[in-house]
Parts: sequence; structure tokens; C-alpha cells
Amino acid sequence: MKTAMKLALALLAGLTVGTGPALAASKTFKVWWYEPADGALGISWAAALKEFKQQHPDVNVEFELKTFNQINQAGSLILNSSEAPDVLEYNKGNGTAGLVASEGLLQSLDKPFHDRGWDKILSPSAVELGRYDQNGIFGSGPLYGISDYGEFVSVFYNADMLSKAGMTVPKTLPEFEADMDKFVAKGITPIAEAANDYPAQHLMYLLALSKADAKWVSDFEGLKGPLDTKPFVYAAQKLQDWVKKGYVSKDSTGMNANDMISQFTSGKSPFAITGTWLSTAFGNIKTFHASQFLFPGNRFAPGSTGNLWVVPKSAKHKDLAYDFIGITLSPKIQNLMGNSGGLPIAADPAKITNPVGKITTTLFNKLVAQKGLGFYPDWPVAGFYNVVLQGTQAVIGGSITPKQFGERLKQAYDAGLN
Amino acid sequence: MPGLIGFLLVVAVPFAMNIGISFTRWRGIGEPRYVGLANYTRLLADTAFWTSLENTLFFVVAMAVVPTVISLVLASTLFDYVANTFGQGLSSFFRAGFYLPQILPVSAAGILWGWILNPHGVLNLILGGLGMVGLQGNWLGDPGLAIYALMAVMVWLQIGYSLVVFMSGLARVDPSLYEAAELDGAGSVQRFWYITIPMLRPEIFVVGLTTTIAALKVFAPVYVLTNGGPNFSTMVPSYYSYYQFFSTVRVGYGAAIATAQTAITVVLGLIFLWAQSRDEEEDME
Repeated sequence: MKTAMKLALALLAGLTVGTGPALAASKTFKVWWYEPADGALGISWAAALKEFKQQHPDVNVEFELKTFNQINQAGSLILNSSEAPDVLEYNKGNGTAGLVASEGLLQSLDKPFHDRGWDKILSPSAVELGRYDQNGIFGSGPLYGISDYGEFVSVFYNADMLSKAGMTVPKTLPEFEADMDKFVAKGITPIAEAANDYPAQHLMYLLALSKADAKWVSDFEGLKGPLDTKPFVYAAQKLQDWVKKGYVSKDSTGMNANDMISQFTSGKSPFAITGTWLSTAFGNIKTFHASQFLFPGNRFAPGSTGNLWVVPKSAKHKDLAYDFIGITLSPKIQNLMGNSGGLPIAADPAKITNPVGKITTTLFNKLVAQKGLGFYPDWPVAGFYNVVLQGTQAVIGGSITPKQFGERLKQAYDAGLN
Repeated sequence: MPGLIGFLLVVAVPFAMNIGISFTRWRGIGEPRYVGLANYTRLLADTAFWTSLENTLFFVVAMAVVPTVISLVLASTLFDYVANTFGQGLSSFFRAGFYLPQILPVSAAGILWGWILNPHGVLNLILGGLGMVGLQGNWLGDPGLAIYALMAVMVWLQIGYSLVVFMSGLARVDPSLYEAAELDGAGSVQRFWYITIPMLRPEIFVVGLTTTIAALKVFAPVYVLTNGGPNFSTMVPSYYSYYQFFSTVRVGYGAAIATAQTAITVVLGLIFLWAQSRDEEEDME
């Protein structure tokens, strides 16, 4: 009997001791993102997670670094399963975040947006891309995602090559073309380009936007009717003209983004027209000084707020997810992002000392002030990315005419209208 | 029994589900909507799909025909000449060398070939260095060249497989056959034509069947090197199906493409097997 009593006591004691930590550890907060650890986003979000842990010492934090493709291709399946995390980075746009939002897989964030004062930090235009209607089209409807950074496409230039050639930053498109003529005359291809990958479609879209107004952009992105192809046909003509003049090499049809990056960083071409996701990499170039300017003469540029923090409907700890999103929007994390060369959406420009962060923030603020965020050409319809990519590649290679290019885009776009 | 369960789980059930999905309009999540034969009607009128089927013929040539011919010649050279003249060791060394591409992960091989075929890549550098600037090409970026560049990669990849099968086939051929033929004055070409090929007929059938099926469902090299471009010139059914599944999220349509592709593969496979059994029957008579 005595032994039995002892055993029972021991068991009880063991249970009590065991349950204490077990209960605390049962609260596990899961967060996923897919930005590389050494970029400005990776650095600042890691800092945000550290801060989160300090604020919630009782919570067990599980972080997983995913890849863009994992989320882009299997995101909807994950969100539809019981394996979804509490908060994750999700690709913005109709075909991605819009799709899962319209299927009811995401938690609406309207309540925390007001209750937690995020509406004081983020302007209505800064959350436009987080809103999706019942068809998954962005711009209106409930708020499903929060972005804490921005991005845009501009012209990166090799300041050493320009000053050696006696040039300053061009203010207009004719000035830019005149500069490029001078480089061509010296046997240099002015623009590092890659048409077997995403970069060429950004240049194509910049040229299209040079002939577009706010209504066209809003109609195009909002899928408001059959595609008005005029700006795209113009862009294709201009692009073929630039190939003929030697500003862009036909070889670019066989090159990917990494080829373009090495073409620019090795000093073979003085310009690279691409997005701020490369700002940090170009800012780190040691052999010459790289800087950037907005595409001359354009009001619009491809650009937007960044990818979204979304909270799955099935998330177990939604309040913790809101806590984390709140931390990424805090001045400390936002300034850190700017000082890591990134483009924070709500930082204090005076606190940013990093030269790359400073110029991207300044140009972004200018672009936002002129209401010039033109979003991206592949957004309106799911699968449009490949159509635009292959079409632009064929335009540069000369295998289709500008008119055929317009028709091809129209066919895929209009098929997405119903 | 475990084999049957595995077959049901991995092949039969997903196959039946795929057929079921091909009759619906579905975005991968939510409720699929039954649309009857709409996806198949659309498929018949889809020029991109027909282009992808045409491109498959190029891959049959590059994966089934050319490597089989080359490795027949190589196998017989290694067996009949290299092994006899220089010893078994050198022959094995070459066999292993030719087999190496089969061991490499396709994604790694694809990145290497990307460097080689890039406009500023190794191949063009070599051609330029040899003064053959006229032969330089934009191998993966020119719609007229990309399919041939991919074909060359596939030949490189496939030779090792056929070669190893043929060499193991030759190992069971009685060497005295070759000796007798040689004594009778048969040259190496005659020995190849009258001994090697007839003796290897079963292996040629197996290699032909497996590589043709592999060509019909080729995916990875296209995915890694060209994404079906430029201008759809290297699009194949597998990649097109994948593209509909994951890019346009027309899952029902992607399933229809996959079903059509499977049907074509099964029919061709059956024709192959029928031809082989008829060939064997003729031999018996």
C-alpha cells in the first residue's frame, strides 16, 4: 500500500511538473516568408521576429524560410489545408492573393487595421493592393493583406561610365536616347537586358506607360473591359526601334535576370532598367558607383507596394499574427529596412542614412506624389505573366510584329474577362 | 498485393481523379464546376497544344532515334574494337563516361547547359576563339534554334542510357560468332550489320519503347532551359499542362491536356508492344 501511495504521488508530481512547460509550449506561433536573409527585407523581418519573441517570451516561435515558387505554386493548397501558418508573406495580385481571398481562405484584416491604428500609418493607396473583391480583383473590398514595403522599376546607371563620357542624368526621353547613341557609337550596348526572364517586360511596360494615363492604368489593372492595346503596340514598336538602334541587344532573348545583372555589374553596359529588389545588390558594387533615376519623361513606372502579410482563415493564433504585423510596421523596423538599403513604406526619411535606402526612398516618394505607381503588366489575369514574357521576347527577337504582339496580349487578356 | 496497393494509390486513383477533373472548370481550390466536354473542345482548337505535340516529334528524334543509332555504333565499337584492342578497362571507362549525364540531376545539368548556350556563353566563346563567328548563335533565345539546342542536350543526356543497355546485351552474344565472321572475311561494318543489330533486337525494342515514352512526357529540360519559349517554340504537352495547372490556374484544362497526353502515350506504347510481339512471332516461324 505504501509503495502504491508513493507511486501515485510520484506520478502526480511528475504530471504537475510535466504540464507546466507543456501548456506554455503548446502555444506555437508559425510564420513563413520567402525573402532572402541577406536582403533588406530579410534583415528587417528577422529583427521584427526577434522583437516579437521578446514581447512574447511564453510563445514558441516556428519560422520557415520558403521560396517564391513554393508559395506561388502551392500557396492555395497550403492555405486550404490544416498546415497553414499563422501569418505568411503572400504574392500580391489578382491571380495569387486575390484568388485565395475570393475563395474565403484569408482572414479579413479590417478590424485590426482600425483597432491597432495601422490606418494611421498606411495611406489608403498603400493598402489598395491588400483589398480584393468577391472576384479576387484588387482595389476594393475587404482588406486581406498588409504590405510594409514598396518597390518600383527605375533606371540604374553606372555613374563612372556616364561621367567619363561627360554625361549627366538625362531629364527627357530624347536626352536619354542621345546618351545611348553615344554609347552605341563607342561599341557599347547601353542597356543590360534579359528577355528570357522578367526584366524585358518591365522595359516594355515602361514604354507602354509613357503613352498611358491614369484611366488606362486603372482599366487595364482592374480588368474593366476589353484590352485597349494602343500603348502596348507603341511599346513594341519603340522596343524594336531600340533594338535596331543598338540600345538593346537581340542576344537578350537568350539571357536571364542573372545574366543581365552580371552585364551591368561587370561594367559592360551603363544602364539596367529594373526594380528596387536589386538596389542593395547594385549598391554593393565596389568597382564603380551605381545610382538610379526614374525613367525619363514618364509619370508612371511599374511599381507598387510590396508583397502582403496575410493571415489564413484557419490560423490558430490570429492575435499573435496581428502583433507580428504591427511590429513590422513599427518605426524601428521600418527605419532598419531603409538603412539596410530597402524601401520601407512608413519610415522617417530623415532617419535613413544608407545612401541606397535614401535614394530609393526619395524616388519612391516622388513617384507616389505624382500618383505614378503603374503596377505590373502581368497582374490582371492569371497566367498573363508568361504571355507577356514570351511576347516581349518575340518582339525583341523580331519574330512578331508590334500589331501581332498587341493581338496576342488582347486574346489572353480578354479571355480573362468573364 | 503491396504492388497492387501501390499501383492503385500512385497510378490508378490519381489517373481517375485527373480524368474526373478534366470535365470541370476548377481553380485548384473551391468547388469544381462540371462543364462536360468543354475542356476537350477547347483543346482541339488550341494551337498552342498542337504546336506542343509537333514539338514532341523533335524530342522523339532527339531522345529515341538519334541516341539509339549513336549508341548502337558506340556499343559495337567499344565491344568489338576498343575492348579487343585496348582492353576491357578502357571500354568500361568510356561506358561510364557516356553514362555520367544520366546520373547528374537534370536541374544541375540544365544550369550548366544554360551557361554553355548563353549568347555570351562557352559555346559561342569557343566558336569565336576558333574564328567561326558566323556559326555563333543565340541558342536558347532564337525561336529557330532553341528546339535544336534542346535536342542536342537531350542526345547528350540519353546516349548513356541506350549505350549501357546495348553493352549488357552484347555481353550475352557469343564472341565466337564475331571470330567466325571475321575468319569468313566479314569487315567491321558487316559484323555490325549482320551480327550486332540482329542480336540486339530485343534491346533495341526496349530502348525504343522506354525512350519514346520518355520523349512524350519530357518536362524537366524544358522547364530548366527555356520555359517553353522563345515564342512557344519549345513548348511540350507536359510543360503546357503544368503551365495551365499552376500559372493560369485552369486546373480542369490542365487535367484535360494531361489526359490527352496520357492517351497518346498509351496508344503509342501499345503499338510498340504489338509490333514487338509480331516481330517475335515471325522469328519463331
